[in-house]
This record gives sequence, structure tokens and C-alpha cells, in this order.
Amino acid sequence: MPSATSPAAFPSRVPDLSAYRIAVEPYYRPVGDEIAVFEAAWRHRLPVMLKGPTGCGKTRFVEHMAWRLGRPLITVAAHEDMTAADLAGRFLLSPEGTVWHDGPLTQAVRHGALCYLDEIVEARQDTTVVIHPLTDARRILPLEKRNEQVAAHDDFQLVISYNPGYQSAVKDLKESTKQRFIAIAFDYPAPELEAEIVRREAGADAALARILVAIAACSRNLRGQGLDEGASTRMLIHAGRLAAGGVSLEAAVEAAIVLPITDDADVRRALGAAIAACLP
Amino acid sequence: MNEVCDSEAPVLDAPALARLAGLMRARDTLAASFEATRHRLARRHGAASLEPWAQGVLALVEVNAGASALLAFWRASLELSGRLSPAALGETGLAAAALCREAGGQAACAALDGFVAIAPRLAGEGERAAFWRALLALAQAAPDCVESVATQAHRLVLPGHVADFEGFIAAGLKAAGRDSARRRAFFALEDTLALALLARIGAGPGFAELESELSRVLAALWGTAPPLQPLPPAASEAPRRVNIAGPVLRLPEVFPGVEGEGARHLYRAAALHAGAHLHFGNPRFPVRKFRPVQIALAGLIEDARIEALAMARYPGLRRLWGRYHIATPDDGPTLACLLARLARGLFDPGYADPDALVGKAQALFAAARDRLDDPAISLDIGTRLANDIGQRRLRFDARGHVVEPAYRDDGLGLWDFSDIDPEVSDEVQLLVEAARIERREGEDGPPDVAPSRAPAGRARERAAGETVPVIATYPEWDAQAGIERPDWTSVRALAPAPVDSRPLQRALERAGPARARIARLVKAAKIGRAVRLKRQPDGHELDLDAVIEAAIARRAGDVPNLNVFRSTALTQRDLAVLVLIDMSQSTRAKLASGASVLDVEKLAVAMLGEALAALGDAFALLAFASNGRDDVRLCEVKGFAEPYDAAALARLAGLSSGLSTRLGAGLRHAGAEIARVRAFRKLILVLTDGEPSDIDTPAPDLLQDARRVVLQLRAQGIDTSGITLDPAGVGAAPAIFGKANAMPVRRVEDLPLRLSELYFRLARR
Ligand SMILES: Nc1ncnc2c1ncn2[C@@H]1O[C@H](COP(=O)(O)OP(=O)(O)OP(=O)(O)O)[C@@H](O)[C@H]1O
Ligand SMILES: [Mg+2]
Repeated sequence: MPSATSPAAFPSRVPDLSAYRIAVEPYYRPVGDEIAVFEAAWRHRLPVMLKGPTGCGKTRFVEHMAWRLGRPLITVAAHEDMTAADLAGRFLLSPEGTVWHDGPLTQAVRHGALCYLDEIVEARQDTTVVIHPLTDARRILPLEKRNEQVAAHDDFQLVISYNPGYQSAVKDLKESTKQRFIAIAFDYPAPELEAEIVRREAGADAALARILVAIAACSRNLRGQGLDEGASTRMLIHAGRLAAGGVSLEAAVEAAIVLPITDDADVRRALGAAIAACLP
Repeated sequence: MNEVCDSEAPVLDAPALARLAGLMRARDTLAASFEATRHRLARRHGAASLEPWAQGVLALVEVNAGASALLAFWRASLELSGRLSPAALGETGLAAAALCREAGGQAACAALDGFVAIAPRLAGEGERAAFWRALLALAQAAPDCVESVATQAHRLVLPGHVADFEGFIAAGLKAAGRDSARRRAFFALEDTLALALLARIGAGPGFAELESELSRVLAALWGTAPPLQPLPPAASEAPRRVNIAGPVLRLPEVFPGVEGEGARHLYRAAALHAGAHLHFGNPRFPVRKFRPVQIALAGLIEDARIEALAMARYPGLRRLWGRYHIATPDDGPTLACLLARLARGLFDPGYADPDALVGKAQALFAAARDRLDDPAISLDIGTRLANDIGQRRLRFDARGHVVEPAYRDDGLGLWDFSDIDPEVSDEVQLLVEAARIERREGEDGPPDVAPSRAPAGRARERAAGETVPVIATYPEWDAQAGIERPDWTSVRALAPAPVDSRPLQRALERAGPARARIARLVKAAKIGRAVRLKRQPDGHELDLDAVIEAAIARRAGDVPNLNVFRSTALTQRDLAVLVLIDMSQSTRAKLASGASVLDVEKLAVAMLGEALAALGDAFALLAFASNGRDDVRLCEVKGFAEPYDAAALARLAGLSSGLSTRLGAGLRHAGAEIARVRAFRKLILVLTDGEPSDIDTPAPDLLQDARRVVLQLRAQGIDTSGITLDPAGVGAAPAIFGKANAMPVRRVEDLPLRLSELYFRLARR
């Protein structure tokens, strides 16, 4: 059981994080030395930033690492309206009066979980700064409203994800935020690897997986030429599942890849021609 | 005509026919023909139904069309009697008569003959009427041109496209205006515009419609999209093929006679074939002593080689190309037909041909299967096949050679003609001419970003200082004397010289990634920044923290604050921006890509213009250069009140480099312009490639002056920022605009994106 390191008067009900534990190994196919880098960062409890396009395996990787390290994993999807209170916690009303309720970040900090902040850029910059004292040498989380400084549990580690594709002059992380993290770059795996992943995850045969990967490569070539992003590994898995389940390959690709990624008729035609070239 | 009036024959049921019969009896040269025609028409349609036809003949007689026109009409009547009723034939006669009245009997005669040729292509009365209407319109405006158009009718009227014929005539009349020589050339199909329009008849979509799609398909399959250029139609009727010029793909403007999905398919097949050439090694074989037949055969093998490689990677390409490989031995005994079957045999190993050459080619190609990545096999196998052809004494027609199937390129891109042996050069020249590619200067070089075509007699050159009116005078700061000299500079309005903006448009299309990024910025900015308002008296959701505080306050017996809602409000954009473009001599400098600095500036401004237009921000584009203090030239590309449209783009494309950079004067004028606009924020963005300079004042003084203007403008609430091309990173921009408002750009190529990014950064403040 994780132990609270905060000396502060702490509610007697210690939340049970067992729901956040991962029992079965999540399948993750290493692409480079990311597991070794993450483990090294973990040894020093350094915060980690996973950079990479959508659907390339970042979330899966964190799940896998949490399982491998035997830590619970608390995931928070950041969004525009997220406030610091949504992360840290707030007072709630109960019959006995007001009760402090830890937010997900505070739970992880107190009880020693991996905390994964997905798509951190989406959060507003004033929200992002609550993680600053946690991610430098202090390793503390100040809860102003409660007048408490939560010292991080020894096993607490922060992981954030960040998709540089969306990055624009409008939305970007503060330099002072970025510079606190060890970064691991993710990208779509090399064709053979990606085909292997698609085959496993979608239950597709090798030939089908290869075709889907070739289609993805074509779509990724159109990044910046009408597409903001090419087809992700996730999309290929979806298409593969449809096709393996009996939908015709053309229809599966159309439904799982073409229609979701573009609304532009011109781009759709071009992508359609490229896909036709990939199909046997 | 008088003969008609005298012989009124009162026949009740067929007055025209009776009158005509009377008239014809008197004309011994025509009588026999008339009788024969009438007889045969009567046999087919019945004598009773010929009255409308007779009215048509009479009409021709009445306008004195002459014997040959009457004979032409009768010929037409017989030719078309199976297709047209006597009533429809009568209409034809009336139409020919109307034409005759405007353009004479010979024209009517030619029109009737032309009509016979194309009548089967016209569906129904409406289309036939449209054909004659178009000719009549031509006859009224340019009677001398009717005959040439009528004799070319078979090229101008295609099934389902009679509207294109009408359009062609209207376009010719409009293009030539009062210039009768040009008009004659146009309608004789000797004019480039006429040829371009001719090629478009019944064709399409063409290059212009498909370019961006093709470019994307190429990028998707081969990683990068080569620059695409249109190839105008050739003067002869011979079909055009794709031409590969170095890294550039030149595709026909249209594939004549191919329409709709067929055209799209053919363009795709052609572009991907050429893309495969570029991808799988685009060798440049030295021509040396090769004869045309060897060149053609080696090209044919090379086509098969790169297609085999491409299909190994993208199996679906077999479907794309396969539908064009339909040559059979029944096509004819010529070598050209044999070559088409050879191409088919190499494409489809399962194809069996009675000619042993095809089998041999298939065997040789199959034997080279393991060396497909080596272009040398193409020369090798091609030469052996060419020798066989030589031994069989099959004649290769270099002059008329056209690569088949239609999606394949002309093959010339494979060859290096620089070390051609004089012994074969004449023959090979025929082959090159057969492709009708006009070799253009600098063809092998990289394509320009946006080639600035400078037609003779540009506004810039004409505008000698004195003849251009002074529109404003401004003071200038004399740093050495420490005084501001009033009315020191004179600003003159330089008339814009619009040019064809398509190259600029194409450069824009090629800047895909940067453009997409800017589009994202626009999207984000358009939504406006939502500011979240907490503790509001009303709103779309509860402000949880405020609710809790209110509840706590109530329990504690305090007065709760009932502002417990959250809402969002959008910030309003109210912004005007003026982009000041430096077009001084130094912007003429060429970059490695072949484009000039000014070309890149134009691209940058075009991209920003697109974004601004999409955002709806008020903006103006102004270019400047100077030639001493009395001659500071300002060229208005787009005023605040004008739309950013094709004309504005053409004016932007038309800017040309020259003279010096008196920045202070330019800025003062820009400041005066933007001061007149109503907006909450006003921005001037200066796009320049260096420091101020002019012929009559030391550069440091001009710098001081510019700095002073920037400060004065700021005091008026106008923010000025400079984006300067500054490869060495030593520029004066920070000294003029201040450090925060200067953005030096090291790589000129980055300019377009940086300019827009700077704008968005500034606009957010
Ligand atoms: N290396 C890998 N090993 C195993 N599965 C993978 C791998 N990479 C991707 N996947 C598969 O791709 C799917 C999508 O990956 P994941 O959800 O981790 O993407 P992500 O990078 O977190 O995307 P987003 O940024 O959109 O959240 C996973 O469900 C998994 O099936
Ligand atoms: Mg994810």
C-alpha cells in the first residue's frame, strides 16, 4: 500500500489506488531505446515528456511502463477549460461541512502513482504552472486553498504527452515548462514494425497489415499538403479490425482512414488514388 | 430576285415547291440536279412532305446564293436525308440563306459542306440551330472568316460540345477585337489562343483543374511532388505527351477528346508514370550515335522497367495503367502498332503476340528481372530489339513518332543530347521535333519559385521620374545637422503593371506545408481568443469554486455572493495592417532556387494576403523604391478598400526590382495611408532585404531617419515591425524597429512563413 508522506492531517479514508493498477501486461512493441530511457528517468524520478503525433503509441507506452514498474497509473486528459483545481483538488460540501477532495494529480503525488497528463498543450498556461514545483528539485505540490504543501511520494512520477504537430504560435508550452522534462520522441514505427503491431492489435493477416501500412505511408506524405496529420497507427488498427471482420478492404479504409482525416474533396480524391495504387 | 417575284404560281397545297419547280425549269444548269434531288427525297419521305425543304431552297435562291451553294444544299439534303426530315433540311436551307446574306454564297457553300461532316454529332434541332447561330454571329462580325471556320468544323464541333463551338467563336471575336489580321489568323487556327481553345473543346478536366490533385497524388506515392507545368497544345493535330524536363513534369494542358473521369484517369496515369521515372532513377543516357529507333526502343524498355518497379511497390498501379494497353495485331501492320504491342507485352507478361519480336522482348525483359534497378538494361535490350527491327527493314518514322499508350511520356527526358554525334543528329532532331517541345532557355535548371516574366515596356521603365505625378511630400530627419527638413522627399505614384499571376499562384500551391500552417493560424485566430470569465451573474455553467464559496458563506451566516456562473466571451478583432514591400534593386538577387528575392517577397505577401483575406482584417499592400529624394516611388498593390482578388494578385506578381530603399519616406507614406483607416490597432509590416540606402544621402542618415519615423508612428498608435532578410545576421533592423519588433530572417526561403507568423504574433498582442 502506498504511504502518505504528508504530515498534514489527512482524511482517514485513504483512497485505494488499486483501481489504477494494471494487472495484465499491455502489449507494447519497443521501437527504439524508449524503455531504457524511461527506466533511467524513473530511477531518478525525472519527469518525462512523450512527444509525437497522434495515435503512435504514447498512451500505450505509458500503460506498459506503469505495468512494468508496478505502479498505478492516473491519467488526466487536459482540455482548454481545465483549471488548477481540476488537477489539484477542491473543497466539496458534505453533511458535516466542507471536505477537501484531492484532484487526480494530488492523489498521484500523495500515493506514489505515475501521473499521465495527456495533451498538456490543451491546458491553459496558468494551469500548467501548478506542475512546476513538482517537476524541479522541490518535488512538492502546494495546495494553496488548503494551506498545505504535499511532498511527493517517493514513487510519484509525472509523464506528459505533447503533439508537436498541433504546436503553433497560438498554442505552445512555456519554455520554463518544457525545460523541466526528459523528452522521448515518438513517431510512427518503421513499416515492418508497424505492420507487426497492426497484425497483432487488429487480428489481421500479414498481407493486409502490409497494405494498410503502405496506405498510411502515402497519407503521411500528404502531411502539410492538405492533411494536418497522416493516418495514425490507431487508424490502421481500426481499418484492420473492420477488414478482418469481413468489411471489404476498400470500405474499411474509406471508413476508418479517408473519411475521418479529411473533409476536402480534392484531398480525398488524391488520397483515394494513392490508396487505389496500394490495393492489390 | 426579280425572277422570283414574277412567277407566282398559285398551288394551294405546295406553293413553294410548285414555284421552285417553275423556277428551276428555266435554269438548265441546275434543272437536272434539282429534279434528281427532289425525286430521291420524295422517294424517301413522300412527295407531299417536301414543302418545307422547298422553302429552304427558295430561301437560298432569294438571297442569290449561286449555283454552287444550291448544289451544296442538295448534296447535303441527300447525304443527310436518312438523318434529317425535310422540315429539318428546310431549316438548314433557311439558316444557310441567312448566312449567305451576311457572308456570301461561297461561305454558305462551305458551311453546308462543313455541316454535312458534323451533322451526325449534333443531337436534335437545338444543337443544329446552335451551330448555325454561331456561324451567323461570326458572319455578322467577320464575314471573311466564315469559310475557314466552316472548313474546320470537323475539328471544332465535337459530340455534345456544340456550346464549345459557340464559345470558340465568341472568344475569337473578343480576342481579336478590331484587328482583322489577328481575327483571320485566329479563325484559320493559326493563333496560339485559338489552338489552346481548340484543344479544350470536348476535353477536360485539364491540367489547370487537376494540377493540385496530381501534385498530391505524386507526393503521396513518391514522397515528394515534382514541380508541374502545363504544356500548351502543339500547332499540329498530333497528340501531346508528357515531357520530363529535369526535375519538372510538363503535362499537356488538355488531352484532346478525353473527358470527365476519363481525363482524370489519364492524367493520373500519366503523372504517376512520369513520377515513377523520377523516382526510380531518371538516367540521362548520352545520345552519341544512337539512332531514333534505338532511342525509341530503349525508352520503351525503360518505361517497362520503371513500371515494373513501381507496380512491385504499388500493385494497384497495374489497374491504373492496364486499361491503356489494348493494342492488338488488328490495329495495323505499321511499326508504330508493333511498338504499341511491344509495350503491352512488356507490361503484361501474359500477353501473347503473333509477332516474334514481342515474345523476344518479353523473354529478354524477364531474363533481366533481377537487375531491374539498373537502367542499363533498357539501353541493352532496346538496342538488341532495334537491331532486329533494322534487319527486318521495318521503317521507323522518326518525324511522326508518338509514344503509345497516351499516358506515357515522350521519352526525351531520358536522353542527354549534348554530345550527339553529327552522323545521327539530323535524324534524332526529327524525333525531338516530333514531340514538338519547344526547348526553353534554362530548361534543365531548377524551376523558378515564381518566374517574374518581365514583358517589354513595363510601367516601371516608362515611369521616368518627371512624368509621374507627385502625390505627397514628406519631411526628412537630417541626423548630421540635427534638424528635420520639411518637404524634403517627394513621393510619386507608380502605376502597377499587372502580369499573369498563375506562376505566383503555382508557387503558392507548392508552398503547401507553410500554407497549411498559416491556415491553421487563421483558423485559430478566427475563432477569436475565448476569454473565460469567472464569477459571473449568469453564464452557461456553474463556477464550482464560486458555488462552494457561496455555500460556505451561507452556512457561516455571511451574505453569499451569487455570482456563481462561468461564461466565455470572444475577443474582438479590430485591426488594420499595411504591408510595405521593398522592391529595390537588391531584391533582384537570385537565390539558389533560381527565384529572386523579390519573388520570395511576393510569395510571402501572397500567403499573408490569403490569410488576411480569410480573416477579414483590413489590409493594404504597398511597394516602394526610390531614386533620390525627389523620386520616391510607391506602388499600390492593394488599397484598404479594394478586395484582395485575382487583379490584386496580378498587380503583386507584376512588381519588379529596381532603384534604392529610402525607407523613411516609404514609412511616412504608409503611416499617412493607415492613419486614415479606422481601427483599434494599426500595424505596419515592412518587408525589406536590408538597410535603407539611396543615391543622394549616406546610409547611416537614412537609418536614423527611419528610426525616427518608427518612433513617431508609435506615438500615433501605429506599430511598425520589420521583417528583414538578413543572411549574415548583422542587419540594421533592430536599430530601426527596436529589438522586439525586428525579425531578421536568415534563410530567405523561410520568409513566407515568418512573415505570417510575425503577423499573427503581433495581431494577438
Ligand atoms: N509500439 C507499439 N506497440 C504496441 N501497440 C502500439 C504501438 N504503437 C501504437 N500501438 C497501437 O496504436 C494504438 C494507438 O496508440 P496510443 O493510443 O498509445 O496513441 P497516442 O500516441 O497516445 O495517441 P494520442 O496522442 O492521440 O493520444 C494503441 O492502441 C496500440 O494498439
Ligand atoms: Mg493517446
